[in-house]
Amino acid sequence: MSALDTRYNTEQAALMAAVERRATDGPDWVQALRQRGMRIHAEHGIPTPRTEAWKYTPLRSVAERSWQAGEAGPAVFDFDLPQYTESAVRIVLVNGRFDRNLSDVPRLPGLTAMSLRDAWTEHPDLVREHLGQIARIEEHTMAALASALFQDGLFLHLKSQAVIESVIEIVHVTSGQDEVFAPRLLILAEDGAIARIVETYITDGDTTAMTLPVSEVVIGSRANIEHVRVQDEATSNIHLALWETRQAGNSEYRSYNVAFGAAIGRTDQGIDLQGEWCTTRLDGVVVGLGEQILDNHTRLDHALPNCNSFEIYKQVIGDRATVVFNGQIYVHPHAQKTDAKQTNQAILLSPTATINSKPQLEIFADDVKCTHGATVGQLEDLPLFYMRQRGVPKALAQSLLVYAFAAEVLELISMEEVRLRLEQRLFERLNPTNA
Amino acid sequence: MLEIQNLHARVEEKEILRGLNLTVRPGEVHAIMGPNGSGKSTLANVLAGREDYEVTEGSISLEGEDLLEMEPEDRAHAGVFLAFQYPVEIPGVSNVYFLRSALNAIRKARGEEELDSLSFMKYIREKIKLLGLKDELLNRSVNEGFSGGEKKRNEIFQMAVLEPKLCVLDETDSGLDIDALQTVAAGVNALRSPDRAFIVVTHYQRLLNYIVPDYVHVMVEGRLVKSGGRELALELEEKGYQWIEQELAGQV
Repeated sequence: MSALDTRYNTEQAALMAAVERRATDGPDWVQALRQRGMRIHAEHGIPTPRTEAWKYTPLRSVAERSWQAGEAGPAVFDFDLPQYTESAVRIVLVNGRFDRNLSDVPRLPGLTAMSLRDAWTEHPDLVREHLGQIARIEEHTMAALASALFQDGLFLHLKSQAVIESVIEIVHVTSGQDEVFAPRLLILAEDGAIARIVETYITDGDTTAMTLPVSEVVIGSRANIEHVRVQDEATSNIHLALWETRQAGNSEYRSYNVAFGAAIGRTDQGIDLQGEWCTTRLDGVVVGLGEQILDNHTRLDHALPNCNSFEIYKQVIGDRATVVFNGQIYVHPHAQKTDAKQTNQAILLSPTATINSKPQLEIFADDVKCTHGATVGQLEDLPLFYMRQRGVPKALAQSLLVYAFAAEVLELISMEEVRLRLEQRLFERLNPTNA
Repeated sequence: MLEIQNLHARVEEKEILRGLNLTVRPGEVHAIMGPNGSGKSTLANVLAGREDYEVTEGSISLEGEDLLEMEPEDRAHAGVFLAFQYPVEIPGVSNVYFLRSALNAIRKARGEEELDSLSFMKYIREKIKLLGLKDELLNRSVNEGFSGGEKKRNEIFQMAVLEPKLCVLDETDSGLDIDALQTVAAGVNALRSPDRAFIVVTHYQRLLNYIVPDYVHVMVEGRLVKSGGRELALELEEKGYQWIEQELAGQV
């Protein structure tokens, strides 16, 4: 702790005490991960504007509050948890803990979905091999804190060649005030496995907690995984996530990052392409309104030849909200025949809305096709006039146009019920009064 | 029904309409012809309430109401419909959803009950046959990827659905081949009724062979300088707009 400045120590004394208490929780290799997280976080603390990667995500207000380590949440809720499909595999985590009662995991060949805490005793080899090995917590001090604090999470394992027809729905509920929660996900899709996952982060009312999810996803060769992540927390909550994926050769990973909620919401998504002939999507839909600050940093590492990646981010920013997009694509010297496309578009709905957009392509191979395009604009006048001329009221016409702009990304989602529900949610988000 | 008096309007500091007067009664079809740049499309857009057009003088009233005080959607609710010269493509908004939002907004403004999805579909399937449009166009995005002819037919189809009182057709014949022109004209003629009026803005006489007007007006430099019956259009076709311009010069 010596490297932390004194103010940080005082403000976060309770949190640091919890970190110390939890240091010895779990088998020695889990403890080693905790130590690593503790060391990194103690050295860097909560990022300040001086930290380059966090320049546009002002966390001063977060640093000035006194946080507690989160404890278990309620066993029941007085609202319906989101459910997209009838015959889903349902997994519910409350405050980062796997909830057996709220979850419904049918026995399906090749599928294991269980508490991470249980998995570290029941499947120690698998968990030990990957847990903490994918997420680059050295570069993410909040994920480092989460790695020191986490108590449980989800272990999702798809055996080789497993084909899961049902949608795997994961719901994360955060419930509490001034507490820090660290939901942890480990998803292992072995060779040839096929599955579709939708992960939704919500809050139990207007929480003022901090959710620090860390997800590690390992995609085996020839596996095909679709992964939708929906951050729909209350706009009073803090959500800072690290989501990292490693792809083996010939695999396909289609990921969609939907960010609607949180007062300050940030997702750092990284994908390492570690085999040839991979296909990757990392798309995003972001709606920032009111005073929201929503930041999405993506990193894509093309380490080997012949991989294709597509990235489309659509961002809607209104009121006094701030949205940040930073899209890094590294094409390493060996990664010839890489085809990488990045598009990021933003619509500003008000003169006080802010977008900071930074495409960052670093290409070290010569025989590649890499394109990127960033546009920032306002709604066009002519479509708006056309709709109003037909009788559609201005506010509705505007939201239809904004909806159409953003929904283009949702249309790529293959899970129909999920797509329809998210389209509806998008519309509600854009029309708080009509919802 | 429509009373335009001494209308002056400008676009980006340039005065286009310079004292235009026009009275339109229910059931009438008025054609407005004129050379390029005479202000025909400006009149159409001013009637619809497009914001880029600034009215500097004069008045427009529709059934006694001051049209210039109304927002574009309020004019639509009051029964004004503009068939655009260049119908706008709106990617991501389906034709059917757009049209239902428009119709229900108009019905609501008229104090009528909004149509649910089922009764709306039933209602528009009858209308779509009228324009010879394929059903599948309904589920496509508004005008996106439509051919020129499909876009124009879609305008008239929307007009048929929304049942306006005052229909303004801005160069609806431009870019149409003869078959499409006949379909569009048949669609318009089917909508003619004793309580609905039309203002047909066109550069060529051709359209008026199919949509036969009660009155033809010639617009030159932002004013209606000559009015007559259908035969005026034929005369213009024969002698060209220069004839009017020369006639005007002779009067001075």
